[in-house]
Amino acid sequence: MSQTTLAPPETGTPEPPAPAKRKYPWYVIKPREGERVKAFLEAFAAILRYSNYKPALDQYSRSSMKCSSCTTNCPVYATTHDPRDIPCYRSGLLLKTYRRHFTVGGWFAAKVSGDPGLTEAEIDEMADVFYRCTACKRCTLECPLGIDHGLLTHLGRWILSELRIVPKGLEISVIEQLHGETGNTSAIPAHALKDTLEFLEEELLEMFGIPMHYPVDEPDREFVFFPAVSDYLLEPETLMGNLAVIHAAGDAGNWTIGTGYFDGINYGLFYSDHVLERTIAKLVGEVARLRGRKALIGECGHASRSAKEFVPVFGGDLTVPVVNIMEYTLRQIEAGKIVLDPNIITEKVTYHDPCNIARSGWIIDQPRKIIRAFCPNFVEMEPHGRNNLCCGGGGGTVSVDEIHEFRMSVAGRMKADQMRATGAKYVIAPCANCKKQLKELIEYHKLDTKLVGLHDLILKAIVIPGAKSPAERAAAERGE
Amino acid sequence: MSELLAFARGPFFVLTFTFMILGLLRHIGLRTYRLYQVLHRTPKRDVPWGKIVRNTAGWLLPIRHIFTSAPTMKIASIAFHVGIVIVPVFLADHVFLWSRGLGISLPGLSDRAADVLTLMAIAAGFYLFGFRILNRTARNLSGRIDYFVTAAVLVPLVSGYLASHPESAPLTYEALMLIHVLSANLLFVLMPTTKLAHVVLFPFDRLSPEIFWRLVPGAGDRVAEALRGNRQGAEA
Ligand code: SF4
Repeated sequence: MSQTTLAPPETGTPEPPAPAKRKYPWYVIKPREGERVKAFLEAFAAILRYSNYKPALDQYSRSSMKCSSCTTNCPVYATTHDPRDIPCYRSGLLLKTYRRHFTVGGWFAAKVSGDPGLTEAEIDEMADVFYRCTACKRCTLECPLGIDHGLLTHLGRWILSELRIVPKGLEISVIEQLHGETGNTSAIPAHALKDTLEFLEEELLEMFGIPMHYPVDEPDREFVFFPAVSDYLLEPETLMGNLAVIHAAGDAGNWTIGTGYFDGINYGLFYSDHVLERTIAKLVGEVARLRGRKALIGECGHASRSAKEFVPVFGGDLTVPVVNIMEYTLRQIEAGKIVLDPNIITEKVTYHDPCNIARSGWIIDQPRKIIRAFCPNFVEMEPHGRNNLCCGGGGGTVSVDEIHEFRMSVAGRMKADQMRATGAKYVIAPCANCKKQLKELIEYHKLDTKLVGLHDLILKAIVIPGAKSPAERAAAERGE
Repeated sequence: MSELLAFARGPFFVLTFTFMILGLLRHIGLRTYRLYQVLHRTPKRDVPWGKIVRNTAGWLLPIRHIFTSAPTMKIASIAFHVGIVIVPVFLADHVFLWSRGLGISLPGLSDRAADVLTLMAIAAGFYLFGFRILNRTARNLSGRIDYFVTAAVLVPLVSGYLASHPESAPLTYEALMLIHVLSANLLFVLMPTTKLAHVVLFPFDRLSPEIFWRLVPGAGDRVAEALRGNRQGAEA
């Protein structure tokens, strides 16, 4: 594929004075120049040697049937009909490289057919296509051979990242998280966190008329709380909803936020096992420091999945159970500890399933049960649940501003249509990534709907004895 | 020609058939060992067998996947697979081979049933071949090997059918049998060496989404270290 097609078709804006060149469809901090083929193959070889990917590549390169069934499930391909967006084609680039360079049969076949092996152009193509996939894994549902294209996208990106070919939007956050002073992806210092929490407490006091507190650095608590750290900047209502629920459930003394580390985000899930592992180490390290017993993850799909799936893998002796805040909230509702007023959110609401928690079947029913407990006018998007459509910003692409247009008009187009079709006043998306993408989609496609977190609505409807009622709070909000 | 046919049916058949069996067994052994390795290297070792068995069963007769897309292709694919699994094993003439060669006695298909299934598989096979050529997406994906493998399965089917209906066949019975036996022998060789290996590997397909995300602790550090070592080596 020629270089010209690698430029994102979506960039219409002039290039800002960039610290890094735009050889790739996104800014890259310090990509490896020169002998990239050699470097790529060395990285691939090292990964094969030390990781668990070889059996997957063996299996997939043997079974890939090129039947095209996956195409129907990919929202990106369904929109572009561009061959490079076919899940099997993209995965095939990596499988081909694996066969040619790491299997005897493939090496022999390449010799016979005069195939020169991996080329610079193929590396460029991989850099392009692996970030046109949102790693939503929807294609996997339709692959008769069970090929996990999301896994191959992840692996392809990991190899590329060893050449420092990673979108700057992701890498810069990871550098701050793993090496920076603040130690989190949004670069929020601990004192700013405390200020934010104080501010939120004041808001809550005004809203409910009773004090509620975010416990900070309290040792020996059951839960240590990790929302996507960006929530502290962007989603105050979600965080206030979280506190209101925990307070009302009588768990005020059972949880804490740690100032040593308070970020649920783990971009390693998107592009590197190395980053993934080190980020998990920070999370379990903080729980251990505070002698907590469980990690409570906020409303965020990839934060929840990365903790749920990889704390047991990378946590070592510090492994703790991982609970998503929606699981927690539902348990409290079912135990009768939380009461939600069904007369507050009477408008039509719909729910977006974040791929990272829904595709595996982990969290699908829980939020629906919560919503049905207080939103009488709930409608589903079609399709939903396990077969949901990605918001179009999955796999870390939402953090890559340079491909905004791609996310809006390609990857998220079907999602926008889906939201529009429900006619809902509120779209609930319990995920920091999805929230950002869907808000942008709503604006871009001029949809008449409002994007909220699940706990944002709970905040409006929760009944706390001794506090102002939901109706009073609603009246106050309207300025009555 | 009859000598060649005798050779193809005799020692050559035994050779290729044995090659296939051994090759497929190797695949099963290797794949099992690799999965053991995967689980051995990661601390998260539980395997949701129930889910895997359910999913595998669901894909054996993938009715609920038919209407997700290209339903005719899916129906053709199912018809093709049903035909090529049942006919070669249970055709009366083959049942005879099983019992003579390996002492296995299997129930035979009636001629009529065999004809219907074979024609169904042939029609479906041609449809699938055509789909690869005519459907833009499938064409973009397909390489030479994909066409070759489909054709390689079709030749023994067509030649076998014609050989059992010599009255309507354009070639002599002997010539058809030669094509049939040789192409079947070729298929035996292709079975373990191409993606046709999925005849035995399909039970592993549903394991993959459950198992392959079990990453290895410390792999990232070791990879980084190895690459640093490479770079330093290159600079020295
Ligand atoms: S993971 Fe999602 S975006 Fe990527 S190829 Fe599959 S369906 Fe398309």
